[in-house]
Amino acid sequence: MKAVNFGIDLGTTNSLIAKYENNKVRVFKNPFGQKETLASVVAYRKDRILIGDKAREYLTKDAVNVFGGFKRKMGTDEKFYVVNIDDNVTPIALSTLILKELKNFVQSEEVPEACVITIPASFDSMQSNATLKAGKEAGFKDVFLLQEPIAASLAFFNTNDGETQKSEGYWLVYDLGGGTFDVALVKSTEGELKVLDHEGNNFLGGMNFDTAIVDQLIVPEIIRQTKIENFEDEFRVKYGKYEMLYYQIMYYAEEAKKELSQSPSTVIEFSADIDNTKHDFYINITKEQLDEIFQPIINETIVLLKKILDNNQLTAQDIHQIILVGGSTFIPQVRHELMEQTRIPVNFSIDPTNSIAIGAAYYAANKFYEPSVKVASEIETDKVIEDILSSIDLNPIDLSVDVSYNRSSRDAEEVLLIACSGGYENKYYRITRADGGFDTGLIPLKAKKTEFLPLISSHNNSFTLHVYDEHKTELKDFAKELSIAQGVYNIDGQPLPHDICIEVDDMENKTTKLEVIFERNSLLPQKRTLYREISKTITKGSPESIIINILEGDKNSRASSNLTIGCIEISGKDLQADLIKGSDIEIQLHLTDSRVLNTSVFLVMTQQEFKNVFSIAEKQVNIGRLKEQFIQLEIDLTETVRQFQYNEDDIWEIRASALLSELHEVKKALFKLKDNDKSDDKYVIAQKVLRISQDADKLGGNERIAMLIETYMTRKEEVFALISSADFIKDEMLSQYKKIEQSEPSFIKSKNVSVIENKLQQLHDLYWKAMSNTTSFLISIYIEYKNADAGEYKDYSAAKSIMRLADTALESEKYPEFRRHVYHLSSLLKRVRFNFNNDFKGTGIG
Amino acid sequence: MQNSIPIINQVFEIQTKLNDLSETTPFERNLNRLFAIFEEEGYVVKNPIHEPYQESRTDCEASIVGNINSKMKITKVLKPIIYQKIGAQMQLVQKAIVIVE
Repeated sequence: MKAVNFGIDLGTTNSLIAKYENNKVRVFKNPFGQKETLASVVAYRKDRILIGDKAREYLTKDAVNVFGGFKRKMGTDEKFYVVNIDDNVTPIALSTLILKELKNFVQSEEVPEACVITIPASFDSMQSNATLKAGKEAGFKDVFLLQEPIAASLAFFNTNDGETQKSEGYWLVYDLGGGTFDVALVKSTEGELKVLDHEGNNFLGGMNFDTAIVDQLIVPEIIRQTKIENFEDEFRVKYGKYEMLYYQIMYYAEEAKKELSQSPSTVIEFSADIDNTKHDFYINITKEQLDEIFQPIINETIVLLKKILDNNQLTAQDIHQIILVGGSTFIPQVRHELMEQTRIPVNFSIDPTNSIAIGAAYYAANKFYEPSVKVASEIETDKVIEDILSSIDLNPIDLSVDVSYNRSSRDAEEVLLIACSGGYENKYYRITRADGGFDTGLIPLKAKKTEFLPLISSHNNSFTLHVYDEHKTELKDFAKELSIAQGVYNIDGQPLPHDICIEVDDMENKTTKLEVIFERNSLLPQKRTLYREISKTITKGSPESIIINILEGDKNSRASSNLTIGCIEISGKDLQADLIKGSDIEIQLHLTDSRVLNTSVFLVMTQQEFKNVFSIAEKQVNIGRLKEQFIQLEIDLTETVRQFQYNEDDIWEIRASALLSELHEVKKALFKLKDNDKSDDKYVIAQKVLRISQDADKLGGNERIAMLIETYMTRKEEVFALISSADFIKDEMLSQYKKIEQSEPSFIKSKNVSVIENKLQQLHDLYWKAMSNTTSFLISIYIEYKNADAGEYKDYSAAKSIMRLADTALESEKYPEFRRHVYHLSSLLKRVRFNFNNDFKGTGIG
Repeated sequence: MQNSIPIINQVFEIQTKLNDLSETTPFERNLNRLFAIFEEEGYVVKNPIHEPYQESRTDCEASIVGNINSKMKITKVLKPIIYQKIGAQMQLVQKAIVIVE
């Protein structure tokens, strides 16, 4: 035997499904739209069946084909004639579709085999049996029924542990939903719950509150302002001239109702064209106004509540509490009036929208059924058999469904061709998009069908094609996953051969880094706006400048290994006002089909816009930036030569030295160049630096990369140990460490020497940072400083006084202060030990 | 960002109101920036105005004005579509509230 665990609230307006697991109840969400509720509406459209919220949209427009509120007709012999299918459907068949759709909410491996379905307290045997039948037809092996007030009470008692102790006696369950009202008297005796009496109104609910706001507050204001006397009559006419305004206002009324549940007043504001004149409405609504217009509706519910008490000869003192259920009980006035008029404590501790489903799930946890597969060994045997069957493709259903579509697209939608053979008659298909934004509903299968699939732009769109049998039960073996990339890559289009990047400052590491703007294989044209901050102050009229360097190449390599395709320099001389560090810069880039780069740079602080167009045939070189790149490359290459020497790797050492010599050949010429040089020399030098940089990345081959990764891993462990034992700014250093660690997959995958070296350098810097924040290291370095000769200091007398302060701090174990003095002392040394400053200029873009 | 969706809805409403006033406003740049920030936070906002409307669109909650036909278009957007990026996948987190004609 197995616990049922699944509970279903099959509501008049909305339905829900929940499951009891691990002492908790989980309410499932609709995979389309992520709501817990499913509108209890079915629409038979011309070529498909829609179930839920989408169907509700057509309820008032296509009443002969769309059905809601059929719960009220359960157990009757009433049938609905559906024009579109020229056939009759029963309330049971419609409820079956709702139950099947709810089963789809359960997106786990487990298929619900049994469930508890809730029914109103007023349901007679015919209605109850009709619900049971719907459950069975929906594919549930066993179905148990539970009265809604009992379900609400169970949800309440199970979520309020303290209350259970004193639950003996009478309770009222007050259920005010979207369109119906029910109140029930529940008696609890020795843990057993029983509904003694109930009253209700099938046409009283949340909609009445919204209509009251529209009729009594909004429409009078429209008439006052527009002076159209017959507005009210026209406003309600189906397909009338104010139909659009009607829906708009109904939405605002509902929003205002929600808002006023939390605030004392709200404003409804909208503009509307009424009789060719534009009117702006600004309607202030207070809670007091709302209370006044809601009063008659609430009174009606209280009359029914009191009727129950009278019929059962009970007084307010006999009732423990009123348990509130249904979305409309969120309205504060409902709660207030109930308390005022009945003098019974009101309890609103449970979520009124899903409590019935939750209560049903609690009940389901104690109901048992015989599952299709019994014990674990049988499950395993079945699985083996299933595997064998699937491997030999023994499909008992004679049906073949083939699809054909483009896997990439530049359009907003893509056509899907479905071809069927075999027994496709009386079967259905349905296509859904994984994000929840598209669902075709159930459509009959034919030998050939086409379906237009809408695509989210620049995204890989995943769809699933589901197939259903004549009972609308899914045939899972026939499900197909489809994937269409929109604008990401298209063999018919023009994909970018390389990454397009912008060079931005990495102030932490006093270097620049590349940030990708358009990824390799992106489809042209491409457009993007970058929002960044200025990383240095540039005063008006100064020669300082910001450089926007757009590069083409590999996003994982250093800037000098990439080809500059666009370079904009904005100097202090171009500015109308000072540009302060931290102010915003907006860089809009547009790469056309023919690879022309249009840039627009907007400086928010000075409100200046700079537009440029670069043809990629033209080379762009900024001399200042080129010099910085040169220096960085020189440092890297010198270090590479040193490493090869250390490892006694003669062959690679010779090659690295040759590259370094080549680099030195252009050094003189480069540093002779003025920033405003007009000759072609800068292009020649830039080309050479680019080539040397690219060659430098290949030095040492895979062995060097492997060695670098190994060094990185070893150093990483050392740094982590050191940070763990550091005495200051541990969190800051750990966060830097994690940042490096997070970038591991991408930089290791890049197999690019300079990138890995850069990360190694960052680790190295962090190593020294950790050292200089460890008291024992600071003490050892301090002793070294103390023993240094007077001549090693810039100002020895100042150093002496700091040493005295440091000694005092050390003696009294004031380590943070001691650290400060050691840092200060370090700055007084002629020989720089820790360099926190350099002349890095960068691009000026952070 | 907590409360991201209500903030996005407010920004969208401001944008709609400003666009009603004139075609170009001095706030366009700021609004675009705000939507770019939302995107960095993983929220993709889509305004479906003037797009065709079909019953298969589960990214919108529609009120239909006039008769149902195959050439219906979205003529008013009260709330935009909002997707959330989760890894490489997108997930619908808010359906648009629209009026269709």
